[in-house]
Amino acid sequence: MKYLKVEIMVGLFMLLGLLAAVVMSLKVAGLVLNSNAQTYTLHAKFDNVGSLKLRAPVKIGGVLVGRVERISIDQNELMPVVDLAIESRFNHLSSDSKASILTAGIIGEQYIGIVPGFYDEDMGSTYLKDGDYFQDTGSAVVLEDLIGKFLYNMSAAKQD
Amino acid sequence: MLNFPGMLGRYGLKKISALGRSTIMLYHALVARPQLRKHFPLLVQEIYFVGVQSVIIILVSGLFIGMVLGLQGFNILKDFMATGSLGTLVALAIIRELGPVVAALLYAGRAGSALTAEIGQLKASEQLSALEMMAVDPLRRIIAPRFWAGFISLPLLSLLFCVVGIYGGKFVGVDWLGLDDGIYWSGMQNSVELLADLVPMLIKSVVFAVACTWIALFNGYDCRPTSAGISAATTATVVQSSLAVLGLDFVLTALMF
Amino acid sequence: MTAHIPEDCIVRIEDLHFAYGGKQIYRGLDLQVPRGKITAILGPSGTGKTTVLRLIGAQLTPQRGRVYFNGTDVNAVSRPQLYRLRKQMSMLFQSGALFADMTVYENVAFPLHEHTQLPEELVRDIVLMKLEAVGMRAAVDLYPAELSGGMARRAALARSIALDPDLIMYDEPFVGQDPITKGVLVKLISDLNASLGLTSLVVTHDVREILEVAHYVYILAEGRVLGEGTPAQISHSDDPRVSQFINGDFDGPYAFHLKGSKSYLEEL
Repeated sequence: MKYLKVEIMVGLFMLLGLLAAVVMSLKVAGLVLNSNAQTYTLHAKFDNVGSLKLRAPVKIGGVLVGRVERISIDQNELMPVVDLAIESRFNHLSSDSKASILTAGIIGEQYIGIVPGFYDEDMGSTYLKDGDYFQDTGSAVVLEDLIGKFLYNMSAAKQD
Repeated sequence: MLNFPGMLGRYGLKKISALGRSTIMLYHALVARPQLRKHFPLLVQEIYFVGVQSVIIILVSGLFIGMVLGLQGFNILKDFMATGSLGTLVALAIIRELGPVVAALLYAGRAGSALTAEIGQLKASEQLSALEMMAVDPLRRIIAPRFWAGFISLPLLSLLFCVVGIYGGKFVGVDWLGLDDGIYWSGMQNSVELLADLVPMLIKSVVFAVACTWIALFNGYDCRPTSAGISAATTATVVQSSLAVLGLDFVLTALMF
Repeated sequence: MTAHIPEDCIVRIEDLHFAYGGKQIYRGLDLQVPRGKITAILGPSGTGKTTVLRLIGAQLTPQRGRVYFNGTDVNAVSRPQLYRLRKQMSMLFQSGALFADMTVYENVAFPLHEHTQLPEELVRDIVLMKLEAVGMRAAVDLYPAELSGGMARRAALARSIALDPDLIMYDEPFVGQDPITKGVLVKLISDLNASLGLTSLVVTHDVREILEVAHYVYILAEGRVLGEGTPAQISHSDDPRVSQFINGDFDGPYAFHLKGSKSYLEEL
């Protein structure tokens, strides 16, 4: 079967369009295709999650290990609970690890930083498993609180 | 004293009746079951006319708009020591607004006006009537394939525009002004979301495609079958499409972002 | 004038009223087209002779009155039924209306491709046969832009008869043609009518040419039928308006001067 020039051009046009769609999702939106990569979920309670967003990165020492999967409220304690999807290959997190909400730069995006704790069987520490909670968390820093605290300290220092 | 409301009323009635006729036209064109074997080659032909032949203008415009954004953005962000956000700026500006809107405006000028003129010419030379009298429905044979061709082509053209525009920004920001390549892309990847940005962009360009193609086809189909009528209809197509794109863009932006 | 009403009519128009763009074109038009004959509709320019063909094809809808084609009211049927009816009629447009982006062959084959499932060899045979009938077989691979006006009209005629319709309507076939082409077209109309057993309806204001071949003639003016009859009856009509039109007198019941509100002296 012989194809007309028009048909070939239209075919190329469609391919080009599809290619553009692929470039847009992979290169521009940074969509990673390893969605079948195994993850396990850890929970962390915070007093305040600030402006943490879904799919925000979870990092250990600046290296991406997972993403924020869900942000909800614990019905009993009325505290924000963040679900973290951590890649399965990072499964040696001690139960003493600390998860904090940090900010990239002064006005940058918020992300979750994990500081791994020591693993010592004698002290009763274990590895965090799917569904476990972080015992130690650090909330987002709210700028208003920070300024408030600073002003309070200033006035306290003056009275001394 | 009653002149003004009278004038307004006549104008309004005329516009509403045109809207009604155009809806009937689109309905009859789309409701008919297509005969794939016969109509598919027509569709391919029309995609060639409205899509493939618009690729060059889309690529060139996209490249230059991306480059200008890169240059302007870089110079302003430099003052705030925030050139790292250049990728984010270029990508979001192009994906959310410029890509779908400018591609649609170019499409209205390049393909929409051509569609109007072509159909007006078919009407003026009695070819539409001849089709009708040969028991071939011109709405199915002429209007429907052109409508679907526009429906398919414009979203693809918008995607091309976005990709080229983002690379245009990269040429200026990274290759010329010396921003780091990794920072350009990673900033973008952290802020552009598939569901929050790319999908709304495609929705926008599909809506623009329907609006522009519909306006172009109706103006041609409804024009006075004279040379003056065709030129008036072509002008009307470009004006109405541009206004429709900009108006719809505001509504869609308000709804989706 | 005799009120001769043939028994077997392919088209019957009853009490037709039609206005377009605020202008009343027909006020109570009654007309019959006898099957198998050549019927001519004559009338001065601007009386909407072409409109009557579009009304028969139901491209326009009358405000009042009925149009029957083969006994079916063309304005009372659904869209698919109307398209089935239109397969039995065809129309030769004033400009020919050939599709400009197709060759003569593709133009003539177009209705066959659209409405039949015939194999391509058979389509080719039919197309060549129809083109031979109008003497245009040599132009099979030309584009409409390469044809003269008369040739384009003949090619369009071949396309009109491609599906062997019951009725063929000619819209001003002689306009702008040289005398030889006019003669060819007159002969074609007459020959095709006789050999294909179809009915012809010719709208024209070229009186001399059409009176040679027509079997029955209607003269339209002011929105209704002014006179009707065989060419012989029409030629010897004692109605001054009819004879003015047939003989081409410049002044008569239809005044040379357009009717105006002011007199010439007043205007000066």
